Amino acid sequence: MNILSMLSRNLWRGVTTLRFPARPPVTMGFRGLVRMNPTLCIGCAICRFRCTARAITFSAGKNEFTWSYDPGQCTFCGRCIEGCKENALTQEAACPPVYLSIGDLKTSYTIPRKPPAPKSPAAVPRGSGSQPTTGVTP
Amino acid sequence: MNLTIALARLLIFPGLLFAVPAAWFFLWLERKAVALMQQRIGPPFMQPFFDFVKLLGKTTPARTGVSGLLMKAWPLLAVSAAASAVGLLPVLPASGGFQGDLILLLALMELPSVCIIAAGFSSRSIFGEIGSAREAVLTVSYNVVFLLAVVSIAVSQHTFRLEALAQLPASPLRWLGVLAILVCLPAKLHINPFSLPNAEQEIYSGPMIEYAGPELAMWELSHGLEWVAAAGLVATLAAPHFAAGWIDAPLFVALSFGIVLLLSVLAAATARLAIDTTARFYWRCALMFTGLAIVSTLLMRLRA
Repeated sequence: MNILSMLSRNLWRGVTTLRFPARPPVTMGFRGLVRMNPTLCIGCAICRFRCTARAITFSAGKNEFTWSYDPGQCTFCGRCIEGCKENALTQEAACPPVYLSIGDLKTSYTIPRKPPAPKSPAAVPRGSGSQPTTGVTP
Repeated sequence: MNLTIALARLLIFPGLLFAVPAAWFFLWLERKAVALMQQRIGPPFMQPFFDFVKLLGKTTPARTGVSGLLMKAWPLLAVSAAASAVGLLPVLPASGGFQGDLILLLALMELPSVCIIAAGFSSRSIFGEIGSAREAVLTVSYNVVFLLAVVSIAVSQHTFRLEALAQLPASPLRWLGVLAILVCLPAKLHINPFSLPNAEQEIYSGPMIEYAGPELAMWELSHGLEWVAAAGLVATLAAPHFAAGWIDAPLFVALSFGIVLLLSVLAAATARLAIDTTARFYWRCALMFTGLAIVSTLLMRLRA
């Protein structure tokens, strides 16, 4: 008889189905679309190697590189974010939006290569005898 | 009943012209009621009609090793039988009928089940064969109760004519019979907790697995017509015919509506039972109702 009271309660409470475009609230740590900050990216392409779904593609040129992301292929596993040492990648805490044609959400950045950061003398191991190959000349 | 009246009953009211929209309405009502009880929106009003039209427009892919003619024949036979069963229902008073039309109605109501069993075995699919075997066991189990209930009502009222049954005042045995028929309806209509033959999650709709396009549309229609015929039979036996003819048709529709709602509540409140539990349930029901019928008959004899 408990099921009958449950059914009558459900009937009087009304429907809980959300009508489009309403979305359910997301939980803490929800893994949504991957966003990239081009000012932080150094073009190491670790994200591309960690992406097993091949949602991230990377093409390197001499002076610039192109980083592309296709949410249609993304499994939102978050491994690219874990691997990004520069914190250039983040994940939105929201459901991906609905799109009507293939590639609507695809993002691509062409970023000029940054000159390598100078290494401090303290970083050079003592007695190694090697000289920094790059850096600011004294 | 002359040929014109018979054709009018079969094709117009309560036959095809009334029964087909009523079938879609009952299918929608059942789905909507179950959805609302589960806090879902449920399908829009015209959904069963849209489904039917959509399926009619599709082509059936070729099935290797399966006889196309047989596969096409079973749903058509099921629709014809269910529509004819609805056409026999005495919705309006003085609507004709003949002695023994109750037997014909029972036979016509059984034909869709037989077609489902045959269709499952014709499909040569393992899931179809499992579904057909389940349908066969289910049919044998609930029909003991169903047929005994209908026959006991007819014998207690001394007639096998539907119109006469609809006009005679109800007796305690008749109410007992109506109750027994109501217990059998979920199995007859394949709804929870007796939805074993067409279990979607376990055997992928069983006998329907190899069907698509217009043939599947016919199966859906025959299922809807079975709803109308089964609800109509209970409404006929439960509601007396009034002298004023105009009230009978709305009363028939309202009672059928109530029966569909009742079955929807049962479908929403229960889960699917296993086949051995189902068979045991109906054999126990048969014993219980037989005992009650004997007691009722003895009491009636004592009072007389």
